[in-house]
Amino acid sequence: MTATGVHLEGVTKSFGAVDVIGGVDMQIGKGEFAVFVGPSGCGKSTLLRMIAGLEDTTSGSIHIGARDVTHEDPAKREVAMVFQSYALYPHLSVFENMAFSLRLARRPRKEVEEKVNRAAGILQLTDHLHKKPAQLSGGQRQRVAIGRAIVRAPEVFLFDEPLSNLDAELRVQMRLELARLHKALGTTMIYVTHDQVEAMTLADKIFVLKSGMVQQAGAPLDLYDDPVNRFVAGFIGSPGMNFLEATVSAHDTDGIRARPKGQPDLDLSVPITSRPAIDSAISLGMRPEHLTLTDGPGLQVTVDVAEELGGISYQYGALQDGSPVIFQQVGARHGLRGTVQNLLPEPGRIFAFDAGGQRVR
Amino acid sequence: MSLKLRRRREMRAALLLTGPFVIVFIVFFLYPTLRVVTMSFTNAALIGGGDWIGFDNYAKLLKDKLFYTSLWNNFYFVLLTVIPTTVIALLIALAVNKLRGRVQALVLTLFFLPYVLPVSVVTMIWAWMLDFQFGILQPLIETVTGRPIAVFKDPNWVMPMIAVVTVWWTNGFNVLLFIAGLRNIPPDLYEAAALDGATAWQRFARVTWPLLWPVTALVLTLQLILQLKLFDQVYLLSKGGPFNQSYVVLMQMYREAFQLNNGGYASAIAMVLFITIVIVSVLQFQLLRIGGRK
Repeated sequence: MTATGVHLEGVTKSFGAVDVIGGVDMQIGKGEFAVFVGPSGCGKSTLLRMIAGLEDTTSGSIHIGARDVTHEDPAKREVAMVFQSYALYPHLSVFENMAFSLRLARRPRKEVEEKVNRAAGILQLTDHLHKKPAQLSGGQRQRVAIGRAIVRAPEVFLFDEPLSNLDAELRVQMRLELARLHKALGTTMIYVTHDQVEAMTLADKIFVLKSGMVQQAGAPLDLYDDPVNRFVAGFIGSPGMNFLEATVSAHDTDGIRARPKGQPDLDLSVPITSRPAIDSAISLGMRPEHLTLTDGPGLQVTVDVAEELGGISYQYGALQDGSPVIFQQVGARHGLRGTVQNLLPEPGRIFAFDAGGQRVR
Repeated sequence: MSLKLRRRREMRAALLLTGPFVIVFIVFFLYPTLRVVTMSFTNAALIGGGDWIGFDNYAKLLKDKLFYTSLWNNFYFVLLTVIPTTVIALLIALAVNKLRGRVQALVLTLFFLPYVLPVSVVTMIWAWMLDFQFGILQPLIETVTGRPIAVFKDPNWVMPMIAVVTVWWTNGFNVLLFIAGLRNIPPDLYEAAALDGATAWQRFARVTWPLLWPVTALVLTLQLILQLKLFDQVYLLSKGGPFNQSYVVLMQMYREAFQLNNGGYASAIAMVLFITIVIVSVLQFQLLRIGGRK
C-alpha cells in the first residue's frame, strides 16, 4: 500500500434526526485522483466539505497523511478547495485572489510574486493577473480558482463540481487540463461530480455514493466491468444499462438459463456460480454496447427513436411488454425506426441481480 | 403603418402611466421650488408679492450671526449622528445576520420598530424618559454625573441627546440596508477565506468590509442628507434653545417664514441650505467612491 493521502473511518454526519452520511470508510492513496460520484442528494458534496472542515463530523475519524484532522480548523488541514461557484473575491484582482492566502500569512513580497507567477504560468493566466474576476470568461475564472489552490501548495486538492457552470465544449477542455494538472503536480485530489463521464475520464479511483453510503469503490473500468449492485451498474456507463425482469428457467453447466418476462421462446445463458432456485425472479442487466442484432431468436425490440452521433448510434425501443431497451450500433443511418429487431447480448456480458438489487455472481 | 401605430400606442401608455406623477410633481414640487427661488430675491412676506431686491437677502444672511450658529449646529449634529449611526447599524446588522430564521425576523422587527413611529411619538417617549423629575433615565445620568440633568435645557447636553434620540429612531432602516448588503455576499467567499486561513477579523476586513462598501457609502450619504435637514426633533424637544445651542438652519427658516412673516428672507435661507446639502453630499459621495476604488 502506498502512503495514505486521505483516510476516512466510520465517518457519519447527521442534521438533527436525519443521517446524511451513514458510516463511510475510504482509503485514498497519496497522489491519487479520487472521484465521488452519485445522484444529487447522495451526500457527496457534504462528504467533501467534511474533509475540508466546512461541515462538522458527527462521528468517525478523518486522517490526512498521518494527521487526525477530524476536529481541526479548515485552515490547518492543508487542503485547498475549488468551489462550483469559483468563490473568487470580486473586489480583488486575479493576482490578489491567488495571493490571498499568502497575504493572510504575511509572506514576503518576493515569495508571493514568485508563487503566484508560477501558478499563473501553469494555468496560462499571466496576461490576466491585473484583471478583476468580472472581466474574465467562465473558463478563466475556473483557472483562477484552481490557481488559488495551487499557490497554497496543499496536501489535498478538493473540487466541488468545478466544471458544472461551464458550457459543454469548455467542460471537455478543462477536464483534460485537470487531468494534465494532476499528472504535473502529483498531489492527491478529490473531485465531486454527478457526471459519470467526468468520473470515468478523470479518476484513478471512483467512489459511487447513494444515500450517504459508499456503494462501490474502485478503478473506473473495474466498476464498469464488475458492478456490485444494480445502482452502480445503472449509474456507470452511458447510456445506462438495460434491466429486464426475468425468471430462472433451468440450471446448466455454465450457470443458469433465464427467461425474460414476456419472451416465452427465449432462454438466455447467464454464467453465475451461485444458482438461484428455478422459477425465482431475477433482473438481468445488459449494456447497450453489448447487445447485437441477430437473425435467430432474441429479444424482440420495436425501435422508435434513433440517436445518430455519427460514428455510432443509439437505438431506443421497447419489448412487447413495454420495458425500454437501448442498444448501440456502429456507424449511422441504419434506418431501424419503426422496425422490430431481434437482439442478443454478447455471451458472458449479462449481469444478474436479485430482488434487492444485489449482484448475483 | 403598423409600426407607427404601435409607436403611438406605446407613447399613449407611457403618458398615461407617467402623467399622474408628472402633474403632481409639477404642481406640488417644481412650481413651489421655482417660486422659492424667485421669492428669495424679493422682500415678500409669506403671503402676497414683494419687490425685487436682488441679492440683498443673501447679503443679509451672510452677516447674520444666528445663521452661522445654526449652520455650525447643523454640522455638529451631522458629526454626532452620521458616522455613529452607520457604525451602530453595521454592528447590529452583523449580529442579526448571525441569527437564523424566525429569531432573526423577530430581532430585525424589534430594531426596525422605532422607525415606524411618528416623530412626535418618538420625542414624547424620550421627553418622558429624560424628564428632569420623573424620567426613568435620570438615575442613570445621576450615576454618571452625580446629579440629575434637564438634558434639553442644558447647552452641553441638548445636541448630543437629540442625536441619541435621532439615532434610536432612524437606525432600523440602516440596519435593513446593511442586512440586504450582507445577504448579497455569497457564503462561498467566507468558506474560501476560512480555508485560506483567514481569522474572523480578517474575514471581516478583507471580505465583508470591501464588499459592503457600496452599501456603507449609500448609508453615509443618505444619512448626511437626512441629518442636515434636521428640524422636527429640535422643534419638539428644545425649540432651538437653550441659548440657541440647538438652533439649526431649518429652525431659523421656519421662524423667519411663519413667525416673523419674512417670506423672502426665509426663501434665501432655504436656498442656501439646499445648495449646501447638494455640495456636501456630492462631495462626500465622490470621496467615498474614490475610497472604495482604492
